[in-house]
Amino acid sequence: MTAVPPPAPGRELANPPSDGISNLRFSNHSDHLLVSSWDKSVRLYDASANALRGEFMHGGPVLDCCFHDDSSGFSASADNTVRRLVFSSNKEDILGRHDAPVRCVEYSYAAGQLITGSWDKTLKCWDPRGASGQDRTLVGTYPQPERVYSLSLVGNRLVVATAGRHVNVYDLRNMSQPEQRRESSLKYQTRCVRCYPNGTGYALSSVEGRVAMEFFDLSEASQAKKYAFKCHRKSEAGRDIVYPVNAIAFHPVYGTFATGGCDGYVNVWDGNNKKRLYQYSKYPTSIAALSFSRDGRLLAVASSYTFEEGEKPHEPDAIYVRSVNEIEVKPKPKVYPNPPA
Amino acid sequence: MFKHQINQFAHIETTCGLLLDELQKIWDEVGEPEVNRNTMLLEIEQKCLELYRRKVDVAKKCRAQLQQEIAESEAELADICSAMGEQPLHFDWKPDGGLSKELDIVISQLEDMRKLKINRKNQFVEVLQQIQNISNEFRGDTEDNLYKVVLDETDLSMRRLEELRKQLLELQNQKRNRLKQVSNHLNTLNSVCSVLGMEFRHIAGEIHSTLNDSKGTKDISNHTIEKLAAAVQSLREVKIQRMQRLQNLASALLEMWNLMDTPMEEQQMFQNVTSNIAASEPEITETNMLSVNFLNNVEAEVSRLEQLKSSKMKELVMKKRLELEQICSQTHMVTEALSVMESSVEAMKSGAVDPMYLLEEIELQIANVKEEALCRKEILEKVEKWLAACQEESWLEEYNRDDNRYNGGRGAHLTLKRAEKGRALVNKIPAMVEVLTSKTKAWEEQSQTEFLYDGGRLLFMLEQYSMLRQEKEQEMQRQRDQKRIQGQLIAKQEALFGSKPSPSKSGKKASRTPTGVAGNRKVSLGGAMLQNLKPEKAASRLQPSKSISEDPGHSAEKYSSGSGKAHKNKSPLIRKPLSPVSSQVLSKANIDNFLEDQKMTYTASLQKALSSTELSLVGTPSKPIAVGYEESRTPKTMPIPEPTTPPTVSVPMTTARTPATPRLALCIENNNNNQPTEYSFEEVRAGFILPKT
Repeated sequence: MTAVPPPAPGRELANPPSDGISNLRFSNHSDHLLVSSWDKSVRLYDASANALRGEFMHGGPVLDCCFHDDSSGFSASADNTVRRLVFSSNKEDILGRHDAPVRCVEYSYAAGQLITGSWDKTLKCWDPRGASGQDRTLVGTYPQPERVYSLSLVGNRLVVATAGRHVNVYDLRNMSQPEQRRESSLKYQTRCVRCYPNGTGYALSSVEGRVAMEFFDLSEASQAKKYAFKCHRKSEAGRDIVYPVNAIAFHPVYGTFATGGCDGYVNVWDGNNKKRLYQYSKYPTSIAALSFSRDGRLLAVASSYTFEEGEKPHEPDAIYVRSVNEIEVKPKPKVYPNPPA
Repeated sequence: MFKHQINQFAHIETTCGLLLDELQKIWDEVGEPEVNRNTMLLEIEQKCLELYRRKVDVAKKCRAQLQQEIAESEAELADICSAMGEQPLHFDWKPDGGLSKELDIVISQLEDMRKLKINRKNQFVEVLQQIQNISNEFRGDTEDNLYKVVLDETDLSMRRLEELRKQLLELQNQKRNRLKQVSNHLNTLNSVCSVLGMEFRHIAGEIHSTLNDSKGTKDISNHTIEKLAAAVQSLREVKIQRMQRLQNLASALLEMWNLMDTPMEEQQMFQNVTSNIAASEPEITETNMLSVNFLNNVEAEVSRLEQLKSSKMKELVMKKRLELEQICSQTHMVTEALSVMESSVEAMKSGAVDPMYLLEEIELQIANVKEEALCRKEILEKVEKWLAACQEESWLEEYNRDDNRYNGGRGAHLTLKRAEKGRALVNKIPAMVEVLTSKTKAWEEQSQTEFLYDGGRLLFMLEQYSMLRQEKEQEMQRQRDQKRIQGQLIAKQEALFGSKPSPSKSGKKASRTPTGVAGNRKVSLGGAMLQNLKPEKAASRLQPSKSISEDPGHSAEKYSSGSGKAHKNKSPLIRKPLSPVSSQVLSKANIDNFLEDQKMTYTASLQKALSSTELSLVGTPSKPIAVGYEESRTPKTMPIPEPTTPPTVSVPMTTARTPATPRLALCIENNNNNQPTEYSFEEVRAGFILPKT
């Protein structure tokens, strides 16, 4: 592996959330960073200026958030609400509700819709342009086999990972039923799912230190390419200690990806060449979320205890923004000069 | 010709001369006297003169007449010209033709002018006629003849005509405008009428009979327009009034819908009402939207909903109260609010209190209780665990007191397993109590209030429990001493009278006797089941939360020990749990002692000691534990150092462990246990529990 002497963990953002960080995301247009947290807040940071630009309080812990454009975003809260946040006016309104805490939220630029997944075992699509009020904004409700744990979008494809290791693949243009119904190829609970930027498949991580690389195309040739690998493990006294893989983030330029686990490490992988490109030095506690900036020059790392061992004393929650060297994320074209997947 | 006339004159003169000559001659012949002749001649001369004079007079008169005529004509001509605003012709030049010729010319000119004038006049008349008509229309029929446009003959100039034409044009425009105005008014009137559900024709007809005729010409008099405008205004006012009423009703509707979650289909019927809630006056155009009937309909709906609301409100209050009670009982809290609520619910039923206000109050109460429950949660979980352990402990006591517990009846192995598990659990009680006490103290310090469990102070319960434990401890010590003395006695006897059959063998044999027969405290299974129904329930309720929050370190044991089924089978033998009322705790020192004691007995060859222990055991009644409701029970004994199955390893981690980490173990265990639902870290943290369907 290309182990380089450990650099600093990156710049730590001032005014971090006061409780566990559930997700963070860079904007598609700027270096703004949206962070949701168990302290019932969503915060907007300017990562390059290291400044807190806004804060939105919710009725319950916020489990996910995403940008709409640079002026507004959305959040998914454990108080069952889906909210729209307007940064300029620092105002928020309720777009709609689920029957249980809302676990994840994604905005599709292709469909102009907001997609939310909840523990009430449904997926809901919203049209945020509609006037306020659930009946105006709700586009559809789509039952899922189990509680929704993770969502990912690429183009018109939507991948939904739920409890019970179900994976549903949808086409946003026809949400009446899944395009594909799959079972996770990993044996344990799904933590995170993320689509490849080139739209050919998705990576899925589990609580048992493993990541599966999957492909949408059901032809034999494509399916032959799929594989899974172990990561975020530690060998101690002959026993493997396995950590959940909480986060996956794809590099927007090179298609390589970073994973973050409860062991506090962030690894960067080249999925095509099946190589680990880089391992960053250990963070104080579990990696709860990861996000590359739009140009892939910055990587935001949420180092925040994810409650995997229940209530216990833990390191303070922190957000690190590190600049990414090309060498850390650029695939090494060696044996196979394939275009990056 | 002129020459001819002169010739004629000359001829006449010659004829006269000839006639005179002839007369002279005649007279000569006659011999007329000279005098006669002269008179005769004078007479002729006079007659001639007179004739001439007369002719001249006539001619003069004729000339004067002509001149007068010409002057008159010229004056008229000038008049006409000036009236028509035209340059008068000048007659400075005298035509050679004499006066009569001049007259002819003037007359012909006059004639022309007159024709022109008549034409002009006709034009005026025509225009004036129209002006008159329009003005009359404006003024209305009643004042028809009061205004008459008079033709001013003196001014028929083009300029005036133009002016009049302009005036006419203006009037025509005005008329057009008025027509437009009227039709506008009528349109508005029509739409307002349709919105208000009124008969348009009727209202229009009242204003003017021509107005309700859609085809015919409309009356456009000032009066009509005024009346129309007034009608429109008044109807509009009515509309605004009704609109406000409708909007008030609509907001009431919306409020009620929100409050009662009225189904969509029911709302649909009045969607058009609520959609107009913020509409301004001109925006409401739907037919009959504001008719009296429709308003009454909406009003009826509102009052219906209101009635529904008041009835539902009571229901809601009852439901909320139930929820509050449930939360309280779930978290073992006693809220004084509950009793207060009771009285106010009574009051509500009798109508003394507004249910709305009460509902708010209850909701506030629920929120408070929930919040409190959240901060109590951690300790409560521990309490549940402790109580479960206590229950197990009491069962174990009971079990240990059963002399025939090793009789190999059906299911005995399960009891055995349970006992084994129970012992492990009991060993942990002191530590649990310790932790619980410190946590509770910390909590009390933090919240500055006592931690109450079902109304009793938890610390007090714990204290009581430890006291009891201490007592038991002492009891056990006494038993042990007694046993030792007894043992010495037996040894002495043996020395004196010879040996007895080996006690260990007898123990084994005894186990073969049927379970049902032996045992003074064997109870029929069914009866006991009934007896213990309640505690069992309580225990099972704890189960889920326990398995979620279970420390991985503990769960290993759970793993290796008996199944849930064994639990249930054995439940009849459980002593009523200490849980709900009072419990006692050992202090730390006592725990150590106790553990040590147990260890000691373990190391001894227990099987052999069995018979003797049994002897002493049955003989020594211990103090009754825990007052109150235990009275019907036979006295309890302490768990004596009874034989256990060889203390199998309870070493955590290594054995029962999969190589997975503790973190992982959490989820996986949840998976494999009797609990089929898995939970993610987030769900565990949020306390999310999948509702049972």
